[in-house]
Amino acid sequence: MRDLYKRLGVEPTADDTTIGAAIDACDNSALKADAAAVLSVGARREAYDGLHGMLSELGRLRARLGLTHGAHWLGSVANDFSLAPDLAQSRHDELVAKLDAAVVGQARLTRWRRLLPWLIIAGFTLIAAGGFLAGRWLG
Amino acid sequence: MVSARFSPFELLLLKSRNQTDTAALLLLAWVMVSKGNVLPEDKHYLETLAAGFRHGHDLAPLIEIAGAQDMSAIQLAAEVLQKDWWNEQSFPFLRQAIGLATSNGQLAASNNHVLRFLADLLGVAPAAFAQLFQEVAGRALESPEDPSRADYWQSREHTRQQQSQREQAREREREREREQQYSRQRQRDEQAERQRREHEEHREREEHAYQRHSYRQGAGDRDERYRNDPPPPGDRSLRALHVLGLDAKATRSDIKKAYRRLAQTHHPDRFYSHGERRMATASQRFQRIKNAYEYLMQDARFV
Repeated sequence: MRDLYKRLGVEPTADDTTIGAAIDACDNSALKADAAAVLSVGARREAYDGLHGMLSELGRLRARLGLTHGAHWLGSVANDFSLAPDLAQSRHDELVAKLDAAVVGQARLTRWRRLLPWLIIAGFTLIAAGGFLAGRWLG
Repeated sequence: MVSARFSPFELLLLKSRNQTDTAALLLLAWVMVSKGNVLPEDKHYLETLAAGFRHGHDLAPLIEIAGAQDMSAIQLAAEVLQKDWWNEQSFPFLRQAIGLATSNGQLAASNNHVLRFLADLLGVAPAAFAQLFQEVAGRALESPEDPSRADYWQSREHTRQQQSQREQAREREREREREQQYSRQRQRDEQAERQRREHEEHREREEHAYQRHSYRQGAGDRDERYRNDPPPPGDRSLRALHVLGLDAKATRSDIKKAYRRLAQTHHPDRFYSHGERRMATASQRFQRIKNAYEYLMQDARFV
């Protein structure tokens, strides 16, 4: 399947008038005929859009998983829906990093919790000392 | 507080007893959802498949995530699968995915792309994947349809027109058959009525003869016996009884029992995992059994 929007040079969300203008301005007669038959009929465009969205998502997935040259990704589909390989965004690495951060945060929390009784005792001592000094100064 | 930063699927994955199985189930749910219309049977099938996985949590949240087309979750699942399942156990998984995708007889274009993506993900070569598809679905894997072409839509509308014409013709045929059956029934009724009348006249004449010979007592006995004996089952009820594996002496409870037993052994749901063709033949058999049962149940002889 070809990406008619890409080949016409319009956005997939474009309205009918924009698409009509783009079809009129198209040089390739075969593409012009196909685009007119598919995109200017409401029901056909809806079905086409469903598959177009799916293939865009699959192209993105393949780019991120390093499968842009898979043996099953062929022809006009591979030609039109492939994106540049994007291995930087690995969700698994992201999850591991998040997990690490969560573990570190938890460790910090437990350390503070262990110190909590001593902090309470220190606070009480300070208050008691302050009260004692204030009593001496007044009396 | 900490968990708020994890997405629902990440939480499920962390809670899971087996991360690979959770990821595989999410991808199966995605295959099911990308079919467009999810049938209750598909859900049931996925549940039976899930019984073989060691994920240890509910299936419903996974279906929800897949239904929302959460691509980051699907990417994460694909990464987990790619890491753990390279060339190992990938065939059973692909088999299940193909079974889910073709459960209603045809393969939607979006599902075709999804299956090809999964095959690439698991490193299954096209030839091996085509063979696997042939085995599971019972027909060859076609290249996905191309709705960006005008002739795709023309041929599609053409076949739809033909289909509707064929359906109309079938409807007309059925109408004609019903009429024929009705007239035949009427003829048969008239004939039966005529026979009954003749029979009664005959009997009356006989009774008169008996009266004349003062054999009243014995004749009354014979009459009583004659009335208690049920009429022999007709041709069609006999055939229906044969379908259920019974003979002419069967009672209503026999019929019910036989029907329950046969319905259980021939129910199409039992052949779900055996492929499309087995399921189709099973549903034919089941239909025949059901028709026979329904016919016998409305038969006056067995009430």
